[in-house]
Amino acid sequence: MTDIVSATDLHRRYGEGEAAVDALAGVTVGFPPGAFTAIMGASGSGKSTLMHCLAGLDTPTSGTVVIDGVELGTLSDAKLTELRRDKVGFIFQAFNLLPVLTAEENLLLPLTIAGRKPDREWVEQLIETVGLADRRTHRPAELSGGQQQRVAVARALVHKPAVVFADEPTGNLDSKSSADVLRLLRGAVDDFGQTVVMVTHDPDAAAIGDRIVELADGRIVRDEAVVAAQP
Amino acid sequence: MTRYVFRGLGARKLRTALTALAVVLGVAMIAGTYVLTDTIDEAFSEVFQTASEGVDVSVTGARPAGFGSGQAPPPIEESLLQRVQDVDGVRVAEAGVFQQVTILDKEDERVGVGGAPNFMASVSEPPFDAFRFVRGAPPRTADQVGLDLKTAEDKGFRVGDRIRVVGLPGAKTYTISGIARFGQESSLAGAAVAIATLPEAQRMAGYEGKVDSISVAGDDGVSPTELKERVAAALRGEPVTVRTGEEEANRQASDLQDQLAFLQTALLVFAGIAVFVGAFVIYNTFSITVAQRTRELALLRTLGASRRQVLWSIVAEALVVGLASAIIGLLAGLLLAQALQELFKAVGADLPTTDSVVRARTIIVALVVGTVVTVVASLAPALRSTRIAPVVALREGLVEQRRGRGRRTAFAAVLLVLGLAALIAGLVDGELSLMGLGAVVIFLAVAMLSPLLVRPLAAVVGRPLERVTGITGRLARENTLRNPGRTAVTAAALMVGVAVVAFVAIFAAGLRGSIERSVDSTFPAGNLIVVDQDGFSPVSEQAARAIGEVPGVDTVAGVRFASAQVQGRTGTTPVIGIDTGAATRLYRAEWAEGSAATWGQLGDDGVVVDKNSSIGKGRQVGDRLVLTTPTGERVTYVVRGLLDAGDFSLLGGGIVVPNDRLSRDFNVRGDAFVFVEFARGADRRATRAEIDRLLAERFPNAQSQTREEFKDEQNAQLDPLLVLIYVLLALSVLVSVFGIINTLALSTYERTRELGMLRAIGTSRRQVRSMVRQEAVITSLIGAVLGVVLGVLLALLVSRPLADEGFTLTFPVGTLLILLVLAAVFGVLAAIGPARRAARLDVLRALAYE
Repeated sequence: MTDIVSATDLHRRYGEGEAAVDALAGVTVGFPPGAFTAIMGASGSGKSTLMHCLAGLDTPTSGTVVIDGVELGTLSDAKLTELRRDKVGFIFQAFNLLPVLTAEENLLLPLTIAGRKPDREWVEQLIETVGLADRRTHRPAELSGGQQQRVAVARALVHKPAVVFADEPTGNLDSKSSADVLRLLRGAVDDFGQTVVMVTHDPDAAAIGDRIVELADGRIVRDEAVVAAQP
Repeated sequence: MTRYVFRGLGARKLRTALTALAVVLGVAMIAGTYVLTDTIDEAFSEVFQTASEGVDVSVTGARPAGFGSGQAPPPIEESLLQRVQDVDGVRVAEAGVFQQVTILDKEDERVGVGGAPNFMASVSEPPFDAFRFVRGAPPRTADQVGLDLKTAEDKGFRVGDRIRVVGLPGAKTYTISGIARFGQESSLAGAAVAIATLPEAQRMAGYEGKVDSISVAGDDGVSPTELKERVAAALRGEPVTVRTGEEEANRQASDLQDQLAFLQTALLVFAGIAVFVGAFVIYNTFSITVAQRTRELALLRTLGASRRQVLWSIVAEALVVGLASAIIGLLAGLLLAQALQELFKAVGADLPTTDSVVRARTIIVALVVGTVVTVVASLAPALRSTRIAPVVALREGLVEQRRGRGRRTAFAAVLLVLGLAALIAGLVDGELSLMGLGAVVIFLAVAMLSPLLVRPLAAVVGRPLERVTGITGRLARENTLRNPGRTAVTAAALMVGVAVVAFVAIFAAGLRGSIERSVDSTFPAGNLIVVDQDGFSPVSEQAARAIGEVPGVDTVAGVRFASAQVQGRTGTTPVIGIDTGAATRLYRAEWAEGSAATWGQLGDDGVVVDKNSSIGKGRQVGDRLVLTTPTGERVTYVVRGLLDAGDFSLLGGGIVVPNDRLSRDFNVRGDAFVFVEFARGADRRATRAEIDRLLAERFPNAQSQTREEFKDEQNAQLDPLLVLIYVLLALSVLVSVFGIINTLALSTYERTRELGMLRAIGTSRRQVRSMVRQEAVITSLIGAVLGVVLGVLLALLVSRPLADEGFTLTFPVGTLLILLVLAAVFGVLAAIGPARRAARLDVLRALAYE
């Protein structure tokens, strides 16, 4: 099957001259649909930069990124924004919910921004799945960290994107909440056929994926399937 | 600690600049006002110095006690000249006349740029020749005049040309004998002056055997003071005032200053409003600064800084910003003074120009006001900063401080009541400054209460927006509610300006309506109204007489205005002259006692008094009034009837007397309005054409108007004044727009991360811009709605006492709606910068932002 997201010979250089740093030094990688890939690596390995480039948030110095058949390098900012809106879901380490909106409104945000009508059935199913049926009118400040991140997961899924990027989604959570969020992501892949790319430095979190890609010094040093599934 | 203050200012350049601007504008207006009025004073002082050059002693009519500086001294007997000439030590003495006339250009239009006055002066011989002929010669015959150089150049007059001048007897065509400079200048402070022989000037002024002044030059060795005493001794018992030339120049200058004092006060009021609005902006900026720096300030406290040091760090910042802006404002004021001069010219008041005068007082007041206002406005936020506990530095996240809300509301409510009380007390006593204070306190109280109003108002103005724009509107509205206090103060700054504009607009509308009704109610009949081209200068009494002889005219009646000093009262009382012969036909009045027949029974000393005016309160028919007229005449009148006239009746507000008595006792020889009624069956168009022909020939300064034309003209006279007021208020509104920019910039900065997230998940730049713009529009509309409501309420309150007197409040709904739309536009404009910044945000950096 063809990859839903693919990168070819990605380079990303920050700064100039002697002080220049190569965050990505030639990365070629593809993500097939319906797979859960964990990108690992130490701080400064380039894993976040890779994700930002894949998601169209950062522009690579050279190389190409293709999402769902569209090459990002040729897109204007407006087109890129539209692509992120329609084809990409994001989960951030710091939840990043809008404090002025309720849980349900936050969840619906990608659709609202696009001016699209939500598929009520799908939305109800999502709310049920993330376990926030009794919290839908609460504001983020009234939710726990775990609950907030579950809203964020639902937000990333609500518009059925081509790919969901999760940037250290468990970084700010306790172990129980972390497990909840990881289970939700796993479920999205298994039950809805969602493609998920997750950046993490936590091996336990990475182990829930189907495949682990490890970066060091801007290069892929390991790319293998996860052998042992859940215990 | 001081170094820390400067570092902080440098780090927040935009914020500092916008805060400073809020102060700069107000200070600039203060400085500009002083510079402008001082410059005008100075210019006229120079004019009067020039006029009195060569004059050792000046004799003028004694202004009767009780008349203010607005009343020109009455004329004196020409025969006094002989007695002055006979005084020992007098080398030469000369009688002079200087009276208002109308000078016509080649198109028969009144000369004088922007309504500058026209005068006729009698020719002066050296050493009194302030006007010196640069071309041609002084007038020698009754058919010659000299003309000032400026008018000659502006209108293309040359020696030998013909020129028409309209005086009391009507128009006359002269030959220009020469062109004259006034001292070194081309004109007398912009006024147009025709110079005639003394007898001709007397004839045109209606001065038989009278003159305005006698100028005296002494022999060598006789001091002006000595000479003054000798002249005064020779004229003992005459109704004259004798001054040295210098004293006379100073008297004229100070008379003018008295009249300019009003202009100065009015301009300072507008400057005060701008400063007041600026104070809101400063308060808000410092509040936000303190809130955003909570962690930083707590850290300072943890490191051992005392409360006092923290307080000082904020106050010092205010001190630096205030002083710097005051200095910039002072400099800007110099430019503004120039701009204001141009503005005054544009709306019809030509002022002489000389170099700008900057007095020490101007500098001191500007610097003190700018600095003190900034520091005072920053005090509350500074005090709040001292209450930040050191432990906050160690806590995660921003700490919301919500304390004392209830106490604050109670305090604001008390303030509101106090403000209303002051306003009402001021209304009752007619004390303007008390009313102003009341209004200021009310504004403060409403500003303090407005955080409670932000939520409902944001819903009212935000919901419709949301319906159109969807999620961006929703977020914009929610964003204004995040910190209601901040939104409230930002909006309150705009509220002040909008409230005053709304108030003025409502009053102007009321005034227009009242003028129209007063014309209709006082003069229900009458086909034409004859007035001067400028709408307010009197028309010679000869005109009414001449119009009366036009075939087809049935009745002609003039109305003229004067003032008198009534024995036992301070100040002057208005005196209205009417044509009692025509009264029963042309005027209508509500009588409290008497009837229309009373007009015919006034006799030689009868008058009618408006019982609602201050002079008429408690008067009875048969009461005697002892009056001193502006000419110094003492007369006794008997009350024959009482009117029940409203303030806006042309016959109301004072004493009504027959016109011939105004000529005789007051020397008032001109009608403000002449009402004309055609005979039954007369051809209206032909009759009017005949009247117009007569006016063009003999009184070209006058014009005939139908009732509708007259009302329109009267209303139109309000317009330049309104434009001026609106322009001045626009500066206050501009200050509040800076406030909106500032608040927006700060609040989008606070939300950097959120904006990053929104952009990451697919919000377009356009949507981000739209969101910020709508936030600005909601904020400005909250201010505008509060302002309009407050303006309407203030107008309702202030017009209460006038309502009984015929002033009916009209709400100019169109104007008020335009005001709201303008406020929204200001919001959009204020949002341009912050919206662009928010949209240009680097998504990755915004997401990493802590």
